[in-house]
Amino acid sequence: MPKPIKLSELINEIDDVIQDRFAGETFWITAEVTDVKKQPDKRWCFLKFIEKEGNLITAEIKGVFWSNAYDSVVRFEKLSGQLFASGLEITCQVRVRFHKRFGIDLEVLEIDHSYALGKLETERQQTLDRLVNENPAFIRLVDGYYFTSNKSLELPIVLQRIAIVTAPDSDGQRDFKQEIANNPYGYTFSVSEFLTQIQGDNSSTLIIQKLKQIEVEKEKFDVVAIVRGGGSQTDFKPFDDYDLSKYVASFPLPIVTGIGHDRNTSIVDLMARQYKTPTKVASTIVEHNFNFETEITELKDRLLETTERMLDKAKDNLLQLKRTVKAYSPSTILNKGYAIITSNNQIIIDPKDIKLKSEIKTILKNEVIHSTVTKKSKHELDL
Amino acid sequence: MNLTYNEAYQKLSKLVDQIEDDKIQLDTLADKVKQAKELIDYCETKLRFIDNDVTAALSEKKPKKKIK
Repeated sequence: MPKPIKLSELINEIDDVIQDRFAGETFWITAEVTDVKKQPDKRWCFLKFIEKEGNLITAEIKGVFWSNAYDSVVRFEKLSGQLFASGLEITCQVRVRFHKRFGIDLEVLEIDHSYALGKLETERQQTLDRLVNENPAFIRLVDGYYFTSNKSLELPIVLQRIAIVTAPDSDGQRDFKQEIANNPYGYTFSVSEFLTQIQGDNSSTLIIQKLKQIEVEKEKFDVVAIVRGGGSQTDFKPFDDYDLSKYVASFPLPIVTGIGHDRNTSIVDLMARQYKTPTKVASTIVEHNFNFETEITELKDRLLETTERMLDKAKDNLLQLKRTVKAYSPSTILNKGYAIITSNNQIIIDPKDIKLKSEIKTILKNEVIHSTVTKKSKHELDL
Repeated sequence: MNLTYNEAYQKLSKLVDQIEDDKIQLDTLADKVKQAKELIDYCETKLRFIDNDVTAALSEKKPKKKIK
């Protein structure tokens, strides 16, 4: 057996070989990332690159972003609306490094964003296609628009009992509640909070659990709002999840979303009514109720107008009747110089009823004239 | 009164339609107007108070006689 050498001697030799082969050279690789550990304060990110055949990992190596490349991670999250996390497939430029204690790894210099985004978009499209293909009973795609049974649920005429699904102590929760509480019309709402983590691994399952709780007591709510605010860390991946999207599409209460992403629309947004931000969701609910009150006010105006018109009309009719009665009353007639003639206390209308020599009374304005008829003849007055 | 907004709205618009119908008699008008006003009050109050509070709020609106 040759004389053993020290570990450091062997490692130095490995280092030399690696230096010879890889020093100053960079490579573009495509691989899946896993075990991602970010340290935003230090602007470091540790991870592993892997390659799989089926579920079997066939290649694996450690990787790292140092602070000079950390912007690439931040930019990825901003552009994609997703956390830079395990399971992503990325294309990136790397350099091979060897450390005498920590071994070999790949230092990432930059991410090819267009590849990563394209990959995510493809995955998203696959989820959408699967939703449409596997759930024809409640999701249909017509001319680029997703029709779901949830979206076709009619909104109650007033939305007052709201279930919100949001993250505890989040901007979204605060914005929503503030807008609701400070509504300019003084409307009252009952807001029941179903709080859960809504970003990061497993969030979609947690959101489904909250929705299930709501479904159990669905009679207690008019509408469900799923809201999340902006923030430094944005992860919309849970809202592109197949199971969550499917559940939302078939949920028995109307769902409104304020997931707040300007650039992108999540799949959950497409399955429900999308109002973009928590504040917008709240103000839309308030306006919905205001529209109802406006209709009530219009009915009230119609009611007042009609009753006023009817009473005016009744007053007019009464006045008209009074005039007619007055015009025909005997005193009016007598005041005009006409007379009433009676015979045997009967008013005489037909002169034939007056016999010669009979007693008649001529009633004038103030007095009665008693007379005996001495002569009757036709008159020639033009009446 | 314990109606949904929808029920209240349907009733109210039906009443207003009836009141607007010229054939309505003056002596039934007063009753219908009263019913309509109650429904309007109910909706407007219910928007500003939650469920159980509504009845309380509505009865508070009418001034109570003070007992000396």
